[in-house]
Amino acid sequence: MSGGLSDDGSDINQDDSQEDVMTPAELIAKLEEAWLNEKFSPELLENKSEVVECVMEQLTHMEANLQRVKKGDAKASVHHMEIDRIRFVLSSYLRSRLQKIEKFFPHVLEKEKSRGEGDPSLLSPEEFTFAKEYYANTETYLKAVALKRMPPNLQTVDMLQAVPEPCLDSFVFLRVKERQENILVEPDTDDQREYVVDLEEGSQHLMRYRTIAPLVSSGAVQLI
Amino acid sequence: MDPSEVEFLAEKEMVKIIPNFSLDKIYLIGGDLGPFNPGLPVDVPVWLALNLKQRQKCRIVPPEWMDVEKLEEIRELERKEDAFTAVPSPYYMELTKLLLNHASDNIPKADEIRTLVKDIWDTRIAKLRCSADSFISQQEAHAQLDNLTLMEINTIRSFLLDSLNCMYKLRSNLLPGSNKGQFTDY
Repeated sequence: MSGGLSDDGSDINQDDSQEDVMTPAELIAKLEEAWLNEKFSPELLENKSEVVECVMEQLTHMEANLQRVKKGDAKASVHHMEIDRIRFVLSSYLRSRLQKIEKFFPHVLEKEKSRGEGDPSLLSPEEFTFAKEYYANTETYLKAVALKRMPPNLQTVDMLQAVPEPCLDSFVFLRVKERQENILVEPDTDDQREYVVDLEEGSQHLMRYRTIAPLVSSGAVQLI
Repeated sequence: MDPSEVEFLAEKEMVKIIPNFSLDKIYLIGGDLGPFNPGLPVDVPVWLALNLKQRQKCRIVPPEWMDVEKLEEIRELERKEDAFTAVPSPYYMELTKLLLNHASDNIPKADEIRTLVKDIWDTRIAKLRCSADSFISQQEAHAQLDNLTLMEINTIRSFLLDSLNCMYKLRSNLLPGSNKGQFTDY
């Protein structure tokens, strides 16, 4: 994809140095994929801050251009509509992530703390700040409302135990983008054997999230 | 997912319009459109086509599959087969609703088309209910649903997924030694 062309007035987007240059259309497609994956996945997915930043750049650039154009221009209204659509997807994506951060905050913070140096981060810097503040606020709240009235040996609460973990065994619908072989399917009941399925490109499936979680991060399947 | 969000995705599909104005190429972030010349067909996304139609700046050309005979064939095939047959478009339901609501004057035999699409939808949803029922009663852990559209999946999504998750919680709590006691409730 080298030599991805820009359109009239928009900049070429650079991903984090390893990726090739993406066209704006590809960028928007990536945002929509990230949006759907985040919406349907039971756990918080990897942070796609490069995509978010590039999209914000495109939007601000386009809006700046539109400011300079005289009002009532036919093209301006079309551009505005497109900006609104992209903005909707972006906000919905960020909102999904915030909801999950609030729901699973101790686990999210734990995962972020314990990830390796080279691993991609789960939270953007702003999200990390938000999660920490949320944690601190919840602790303060619980103390003030209930804990300080408890007997002294019961005054602490272990957030990791108190807050339920995301249920990775939830079922999800997915569409296959890259062919995968030998995906293990484990039935619930003891009297059923495990079996493997092959996922053909373009097919759609309903299965447990746990087995296909790595495929979602790698982009081999898309949650729908 | 809200049905309006599925419709949002459907609005990205391309449809042919015949504008009555002229405009040179528009360079949108998502791709280039135009140029627009009166009387000459051009492909645009549905969201733009509907907006232009509402401002009376174009005529919408119905997609190829939106034709009484083709839809009758599809309906017959759907009724005969047990499995889900291929759909005319992955967003057939949304496109039918959007185009027939806003541009029925551009579409010949709009009412028949509406009825046909509704019949196809009803047959497919009935099949979907049956297969969801058998999925649950046979306690399957995997299903392949190739020809289902997003709108159909979305209709049973919350009920089916919630029930499956609920049943999983119940079953796994029966297994000895499982520490999966801490589950989220909604």
